[in-house]
Amino acid sequence: MTQAAPTETAALLAENVHKRFGNFEVLKGISLTARAEDVISIIGASGSGKSTFLRCINFLETPDSGRIVVGGEEIRVRAGRRGLPVVSDQAALGRIRARLGMVFQGFNLWSHMTVLQNVMEGPVTVLREPKGEVRDRAMDLLAKVGIAEKHDAYPVELSGGQQQRVAIARALCMQPQVLLFDEPTSALDPELVGEVLKVMRDLAAEGRTMVVVTHEMGFAREVSSRVMFLADGRVEEESSPAELFGNPRSERCRRFLASVL
Amino acid sequence: MDWAQLADVATRLAGGLPTTLLLVGQSLLIGFVLAVLVALMRVSPNPLLSAPAYGFVYVFRSTPLLVQLFLIYYGSGQFRPFFQDVGLWFLFRDAWFCAILALTLNTGAYTSEIIRGGIQSVPHGQLEAGRAVGMSPAQLFRRITFPVAIRQALPAYGNEVILMVKASSLASTITILEITGIAKTIIAQTFRPVEVFIVAGALYLAINFVATQAILYAERRLSPASAADRAKAAERRQKAMLAR
Repeated sequence: MTQAAPTETAALLAENVHKRFGNFEVLKGISLTARAEDVISIIGASGSGKSTFLRCINFLETPDSGRIVVGGEEIRVRAGRRGLPVVSDQAALGRIRARLGMVFQGFNLWSHMTVLQNVMEGPVTVLREPKGEVRDRAMDLLAKVGIAEKHDAYPVELSGGQQQRVAIARALCMQPQVLLFDEPTSALDPELVGEVLKVMRDLAAEGRTMVVVTHEMGFAREVSSRVMFLADGRVEEESSPAELFGNPRSERCRRFLASVL
Repeated sequence: MDWAQLADVATRLAGGLPTTLLLVGQSLLIGFVLAVLVALMRVSPNPLLSAPAYGFVYVFRSTPLLVQLFLIYYGSGQFRPFFQDVGLWFLFRDAWFCAILALTLNTGAYTSEIIRGGIQSVPHGQLEAGRAVGMSPAQLFRRITFPVAIRQALPAYGNEVILMVKASSLASTITILEITGIAKTIIAQTFRPVEVFIVAGALYLAINFVATQAILYAERRLSPASAADRAKAAERRQKAMLAR
């Protein structure tokens, strides 16, 4: 590992991340530092760049510039053909992704695998852990998200809330250093939101490091250690939830909160 | 209609069954491997890979199998010195090899399109989920893309298998004595085309019945939850909603 500067002891560091799609600059330099056990909520209007930023952290979108450091390991980006950015070290990319658990808005469970196979797949295929161990851990996690009895079911047989809880168990089974949530409750029927938020609250309570892009202001206010408000590809305001929700400094943040609360 | 003779014809034609099955089986097997490679080239963003794949598919889908068969079997004879020089003449003078080659290239072209359709129908989110856990491109293909694509492609592939069983009858035109080849021999001896072709047709029907059942079975085995299961799940959800 490299010489660790103080900030690099953070579980996750994103620095000055820029991203453009064609002529549209989505991210104009966003930074984030998550120390162990931090729960950071990212809020903002649609189009503010919050999902793109989260996707840049594990390179589902390749940032144009900036750096991402996970557990002391950094990924570099270089300009490829036609000026598109590419990641030079694919192996490092795989390692870093394996340390970041991602939960998607649309669940994205693998349709040809059962619930248990979905949860076991990453550790067995990517981390090459022994199946027996992984199975025990996967069953424990499924019990924890309250869906152990469905371990033999296929994703199509589950409700959205159940699928999302399986997706959380799948992310946890990789034993990641940081969990990334991309609007995890936005695709759910209103009556199913609660069961997913409860699992997320439990995870926060046991000290998981989490970065959560969300529209659930209740969750952001009560669970986060810090809240970031994004507008037009920039961090418009960042502070403790009490401060940001109780006494927003910027006019845009005040207006946004007034419109959603 | 001569019933005694019909039984005799049936026995002789059944003798061609192993040949037909071997012809179809071998070309389907090699053709499938070829098809996966061609499909992968076809979906590649690199034109050096996708263009030749496209050209191959275009040529073999757009020309009659009979013409391909004649070109390979009779055409290679015209270039005999060349094939002898490169040491491949022993293959091309063999009718069996030429039949397998033509059938393989043909099914390879069709099947690659079926697989390409399957690959392109894999939901983007499932691929992202694979990338997000750190899968390499090879792992992603092996564990996610291919298994999902194959399930999507299976019904269309079943169709291709049936077409291949029937197409194998063309091998009779280059001296191969499979079911149709034997049928033509018997007709030349007996001048009884109706009886002979009825039995030959029945044999193809029987092969394809088994093939259809096998594909159906595979579809049911591989589909995450069959239509029935899905309906049941929907019903359960409905009841749960009403109970609330």
